[in-house]
Amino acid sequence: MKKYSTLIILALILMLSCEKDDICLENTTPYLMLKFYSFENDTLVKTIDIDSIRVLNKGLISNYTAKSFDSIQIPLDINQYTTSYQITSEKTTDTIYFSYDRKDIFVSRSCGYKTNFENLAIDSITNNWIKAYNINTTTIDNDTTAHINIYH
Amino acid sequence: MIQRHILIFIISILIHFSANSQEQRQEKEQDSVKTKINYAIRVGVDISKPIKSFLDEDSKGLELTGDMRIINNYFAAVELGFEDVLKTEDYLSFTTKGSYIKLGINYNAYDNWIGMNNQIYVGARYAFSLFEQTLNSYTPNVDGTYFIPTTVEAGTNFKDLNAHWLEFLFGMKVETFKNLFLGAQFSVKKMISTKEPENFKNLYIPGFNRVFSNDLGIGFNYTISYNLPIFNTYK
Repeated sequence: MKKYSTLIILALILMLSCEKDDICLENTTPYLMLKFYSFENDTLVKTIDIDSIRVLNKGLISNYTAKSFDSIQIPLDINQYTTSYQITSEKTTDTIYFSYDRKDIFVSRSCGYKTNFENLAIDSITNNWIKAYNINTTTIDNDTTAHINIYH
Repeated sequence: MIQRHILIFIISILIHFSANSQEQRQEKEQDSVKTKINYAIRVGVDISKPIKSFLDEDSKGLELTGDMRIINNYFAAVELGFEDVLKTEDYLSFTTKGSYIKLGINYNAYDNWIGMNNQIYVGARYAFSLFEQTLNSYTPNVDGTYFIPTTVEAGTNFKDLNAHWLEFLFGMKVETFKNLFLGAQFSVKKMISTKEPENFKNLYIPGFNRVFSNDLGIGFNYTISYNLPIFNTYK
């Protein structure tokens, strides 16, 4: 009986020791989040009808027919230090040139490394439908809050 | 509540000792024939590691074991080893290299016939490892397929890392030929502390094996050991 109880205790410890760290559940590389506000009243969230989003000289990320958004999440190029986006709304296109530094952060065994972006800046921007912008945070380490406000 | 538990714990230990001492006294009164107890250093080698090295070129290692009777059924035990292991995960690959020492005791719970030295034992160890990690390469984890990340050949070396942990184990040793023992041992490990590399983690530690996310680990060894007799006593 004494021997069996040791076996049972060891089996229990063994079962407890098996944990699911083979599945990646943590947040990985964040997206850049843009939020759209009214130019006239800069505290008012104003939706925008977007036709397409693409990186300059690259394929379309998304193609919509005047779909309404109050915010969008777009990926930044993890192999470069700049990414240029063309966002088309009501047949007018604006191009935003982002620049940033990259920092690879260890997450976990199963998730590996994620890339955070630092010193985010807008190098230049065209003003067809975009009237103004504001960078809320220059460090992008999550995609839960808006990093850039776009006024239109 | 806690105090009550402590009291129960102390009382049960005392009962255990008093029961033990009574048993010994009775034995002494009954036994007129003296039994031979041999004291010996048993040295061995873990044969699972060379076999693993042979089958898997990414893993190299060696472990030497030793144990010796201190009193009655208690044995002092030691394990010494080194490992050089390459591990590949989904998004990264790393190499761990280092050596370790484990010190502790085994309690033999097996009642041997006179002259036999077999063991079915439980034991505990304190273990310490000195090692280094090399992050060979990683691929940033990115959602979607719009930007395909390129693999970074980092080759970052983290030196002078260490780890302390406790092991609780269960095993057996069987005398197959005169003084030659075959053994198998299973252990559960709990980390006490580690020196972690910067912007990386000790995912594998020599002697501890894979570090699970709750700081637990498991291990096995299979040993061939030889008993070097030192002296015998009679009781």
